[in-house]
Amino acid sequence: MESFIKDYDKIIKKQRTLETNDPLDRLIAVVNEAKEKIRADPSSVTSSLAVLGKSIRTVSNGISEEQKEIQSSLSKYSKAIDKKFTADMMAAINPHAFDNKENILRSTIAMHFIRQGNFEIGDTFAKEAGLTVPDSMRHQFMEMFDIVAALKEDNLEPALQWATRHRSGLEKRSSTLEFKLHRQRYMQLLMGRQVQEAIAYARKNFAYFGTRHTQEIFRLMCSIIYMDHIKSSPYADLIATNTNADIQHMFTRDFCSLIGLSCDSPLYVSVTVGTQAMPTMIKMASIMKAKKTEWSQQQELPVEINLTDDTKFHSIFACPVSKEQATEENPPMMMGCGHVICKESLQKLCRGSSNLRFKCPYCPQESMASQAKNVYF
Amino acid sequence: MNKINHEQLLSLEHPFIPVEKFRSSLRVSQKHIEKEIATLTSTVSEISKKSVQGSMDPKQVEVALEAIVTRLSTLKRKLKDTRAEETLYSQRTKVRLQHLQEFTAIPTLDSDDFARWSRVRLNRILIDYMLRDGFRETATLLAKSEHIEDLVDIELFVQSAKVEQALMRQSCAECLQWCKENNSNLKKIKSTLEFSLREQEFIELARERRSQEAIAYAKKHLTPWKDTHLKEISHVMGLLAFPPETKCHPYKRLYDKSRWNDLISQFRSNNFALQFFTPEPLLNVTLQAGLSALKTPMCYQADHRNINCPVCDPDTLGALATDLPLSHHFNSSIVCRISGQIMNEDNLPMALPNGYVYSYNALAEIASVNNGKITCPRTGAIYDITQVKKVFIS
Ligand SMILES: [Zn+2]
Ligand SMILES: [Zn+2]
Repeated sequence: MESFIKDYDKIIKKQRTLETNDPLDRLIAVVNEAKEKIRADPSSVTSSLAVLGKSIRTVSNGISEEQKEIQSSLSKYSKAIDKKFTADMMAAINPHAFDNKENILRSTIAMHFIRQGNFEIGDTFAKEAGLTVPDSMRHQFMEMFDIVAALKEDNLEPALQWATRHRSGLEKRSSTLEFKLHRQRYMQLLMGRQVQEAIAYARKNFAYFGTRHTQEIFRLMCSIIYMDHIKSSPYADLIATNTNADIQHMFTRDFCSLIGLSCDSPLYVSVTVGTQAMPTMIKMASIMKAKKTEWSQQQELPVEINLTDDTKFHSIFACPVSKEQATEENPPMMMGCGHVICKESLQKLCRGSSNLRFKCPYCPQESMASQAKNVYF
Repeated sequence: MNKINHEQLLSLEHPFIPVEKFRSSLRVSQKHIEKEIATLTSTVSEISKKSVQGSMDPKQVEVALEAIVTRLSTLKRKLKDTRAEETLYSQRTKVRLQHLQEFTAIPTLDSDDFARWSRVRLNRILIDYMLRDGFRETATLLAKSEHIEDLVDIELFVQSAKVEQALMRQSCAECLQWCKENNSNLKKIKSTLEFSLREQEFIELARERRSQEAIAYAKKHLTPWKDTHLKEISHVMGLLAFPPETKCHPYKRLYDKSRWNDLISQFRSNNFALQFFTPEPLLNVTLQAGLSALKTPMCYQADHRNINCPVCDPDTLGALATDLPLSHHFNSSIVCRISGQIMNEDNLPMALPNGYVYSYNALAEIASVNNGKITCPRTGAIYDITQVKKVFIS
């Protein structure tokens, strides 16, 4: 990249010269010069015009030289770019996969903006695309972003009210949001030197969490002793700078989960995964094209696209023996030793007999097919 | 695993850093200047001749030179827009190169910088989609609010929209002008757009039965193409013998007004090719790759649904993904249905006596606040933590 930028800077420099030293100005200057000379001395008209003719030639040669230079640097640059940025993205598209689905795509886009809190853009897009965004979703996200806005300003009250109202739903999801919010509020009071208030707050609100968060409550109470130099104490983590951002993130995640939506925008997740998948897809598509097969017509991609852990949403079990992905007909089975293989591989190993002892391919233990049991991921 | 392959991802960015627009506006001003110099040279030699012959006195020479200066100044004003365009596009490419440069400094996929860069990329892709579909208001608003005006091509689409609208009004003039400005590049991609436009103008003259004008037009504008398009020329010439209502092939098709729509698509694809834009929106390409990579058979089974999985939503992305291939995996990766975390050596998979597998961390957490008891979230069965068994996935 640096070399491109360097080459490009040279082009810009040349363009600047053309701009500040405009060719037309240079021509105007020589014509004006001849005119002034003739006015001052009308008898010099012949020689002045001859000089002017020559000057125009010189200036114009200079101009065309400069222009040629900049054009040739530009074409050199663009050739270099062509060489480096080669991906043939169109190989990896199935132009008909989204046929008649334009409206689904568009409402996904509108919802993406709404759930990012970009209400104005979402509405403008919906208007231009002739869509209606469900009001319920809009209101939900407005509530969420109001609470987030308050959190950003260290106002925990709206979030606390929401969390208390949704206590049972949050607990079902083993969320610790409500406690974290109380903890944050307590630390705010403590750091504001309102020790009495902090203790009163703890008494009032921590009791409910006593069994679940015993250790943490203990630490919170102990931190009072160190409140004057907490940064150099064992409790420095309680006032870490990113706690606010963490709480915002936790809140949005739990809020979305409670209304049955994903934490991140699905459009963002898909496009980000897609961007990372593109190079592999392009390579695969061009290989298949050379073999005269069409990747988009396949049931399954012929290549594996690596996903980051945060974008793995389903358990994939590939049988280590047959390398095949488990299906309902060929489910994963755990042998007596705890190793898991697919049913078909198991049947091959035990040669169809349920009480033949056979050795696990992955450990020294022997077991029988009758001891194997279905596992569900 | 979470390292970024910058080279690979950069290779996708060709349409992002073009110099075509910069080059073509430079070329426009150069052509004007070259033309001006030619006129200037001949005017000056004309003046010299007349002055030597005595048909022009020094005072008149002065006036003639003054007129030249005025001409040059007028041209300078006229070129102001072109110059501004040059500056805009040259600066813009520079900003974009820097944006890519910043990307090369991001080390991992899980860094905040990568998330930020990806969000910008998503917005770029969305704006590209909106501009192609004519949602200019949203595109402009989004570019402005995200401060990414330099990273998107609103001006280019505004210009091409003008040409498209003219074609919609059944006027070829704007598009012909565009062809003239991009002549050399259109030749490079072997475009026949100009011929199609000329054909259309001839067809319209024939439709109005203005035969004399049509013949004159054909002589002037169609004959230059005779070496490559003789057959087409003879077809359109045939129109002179047939009225617009004809049912006769191929004249019926030539008179068909839908040819104007074909011209629009031809212009679009030529324009995209010149700017190195992909024929299909980047959003569609990227989304297809992403959805395929995420798609599993489980996405379409209600009891395997994961609300965080984009494909699992049957109303939105799941519906878009129906015609795409499923992802393929040679390696197992087991996701905990309680915590969503990946199970591995650090967070072992554990089977309950009913065969349902969850991660150790999730089970331990439940047991710790539940007196060592675990309720299987999928079956409701209750077990003691001591009953779980390690599962080995190789
Ligand atoms: Zn084993
Ligand atoms: Zn899914």
